Amino acid sequence: MPATVVLLWLANIVLDTFGQLSFKAAAAAPALGAGLERWKAMARRPWIWIGIVCYVGEFLVWLAFLSLVPLSEGVLLGSINIVAVMIAGRIFFAEKFSPLRTLGILLVASGVAVVGLGG
Amino acid sequence: MRRFYLIGFLVLVCFDTFAQVCFKLTANHAMPPETNLAWVLRVASSPWVYAAIACYIGAFVTWMTLLEHAPIGPAFAASHLEVVSVLALSVVIFNERIGAPQLIGSALIIAGIVCLAISETEAEKPPADD
Repeated sequence: MPATVVLLWLANIVLDTFGQLSFKAAAAAPALGAGLERWKAMARRPWIWIGIVCYVGEFLVWLAFLSLVPLSEGVLLGSINIVAVMIAGRIFFAEKFSPLRTLGILLVASGVAVVGLGG
Repeated sequence: MRRFYLIGFLVLVCFDTFAQVCFKLTANHAMPPETNLAWVLRVASSPWVYAAIACYIGAFVTWMTLLEHAPIGPAFAASHLEVVSVLALSVVIFNERIGAPQLIGSALIIAGIVCLAISETEAEKPPADD
């Protein structure tokens, strides 16, 4: 793979993972209230905005990435993000890895990879 | 909590899936694809592009609601049910052909989500029940 493709791929993994963690941090913050109050409280804190910036950045990186590799290969490589988010959730939010939960996540990731392999 | 997850993920997958279908309908409406203002205007004149944006907003609201309780690792994996539903609708609505890898991949994704659903149900059982 050319260096540009690898860089865009890595940027996609980092932005996707960091963006999802930001959304989780925004949604799971303490004392947010309920309904509209919850949304106002989330909007006053930085994490939801950091998540949205990551999402827009990820979208642009993904478009650049797909202009260099076919969509199916993009889907194949994108399956890695599922594992990256799982590991990040464990590190930053102390999420538990029960054997069944780990198996489920790995099955989904392998399924996405197989769909990508099919072209 | 089971009901919360079940309904939440169903709504999320519906929004995600219809957003993709609307994007495809927008692209068809704006044929032929060109990199010029005329194509942008054709896209903007399609009602489907606004439906797609509405679905994106709906998906975002649903996702942020789910993440109040759902752990991000399994939830992010489960949101990939969208891959299966988009493949299925691409066959039904757009007469696209899918092959064995797509079928096998879809089966793996569904099997993974079943595992996640069972593991969440087990995690919720109070210890006294065991």
